[in-house]
Amino acid sequence: MSVALDVTEYIKPPRSVFVPFMMGHHFGVPFHKELQRSIILEALEHLEDAKNSGEIRTLPYKWAKVRKEGNAIKKKLGLK
Amino acid sequence: MTETFKSKQLRSGLWNTVNERYPGSMITKDSYVPLANITKPISESRLTFVSTAGVQPKGTMPFDTVHPVGDYTYRKVPSHLKQEDLEIHQLKYPTFGANEDINVIFPIKRLQELADEGVIGGLTDHFFSFIGYNMDPTLLEETLAENIADAVVKDHADIALLSPA
Repeated sequence: MSVALDVTEYIKPPRSVFVPFMMGHHFGVPFHKELQRSIILEALEHLEDAKNSGEIRTLPYKWAKVRKEGNAIKKKLGLK
Repeated sequence: MTETFKSKQLRSGLWNTVNERYPGSMITKDSYVPLANITKPISESRLTFVSTAGVQPKGTMPFDTVHPVGDYTYRKVPSHLKQEDLEIHQLKYPTFGANEDINVIFPIKRLQELADEGVIGGLTDHFFSFIGYNMDPTLLEETLAENIADAVVKDHADIALLSPA
């Protein structure tokens, strides 16, 4: 998993998944179970699909959007 | 739509700068490690999780977060633990999300659910955790990484999910 594309390209891991999120939030935002699960499933899919070493799969999420979704979930749960 | 690609360095001069400032602190790879093919379906594979998030079971020796060259130890995190059994000892990344829900950086509950549903064949008895602030790349690679790799093999992992913090 990666949130730093240039670092990952430099290090050259055989398979990696890039999420354009803040450090410390590689699997999404608090209480957003569906997103957390989807990211893991994407990583598992990449494990099966990657053909060449060094392939980076970029996930089509937007930090601002998932943060809003997370805030809405927290509100629903009655959390601040 | 998910896209898979190889691209060029975005800031190619950056790593030279890091190496000038902290000599020897960067591990440099000139080639790609050959892909290890998976030997069985994911639904039959035992997964382990390796993290640099400084997550550890409550009551275990806290990571040394202030040592000038880092902490080269790791903690075993039993994979059956509940979120509330875990705590974080790491200063080098924003933990406000993880403090609310540790699954954002150490998705133990999500992995347990996927194993319970049979999406993953199972989980290793332990997950493995260390801190990412380690300024001696030789010690990091030849001691810590090797120790964790041995422990992962000993735990009969078929596949590994690795996440920095």
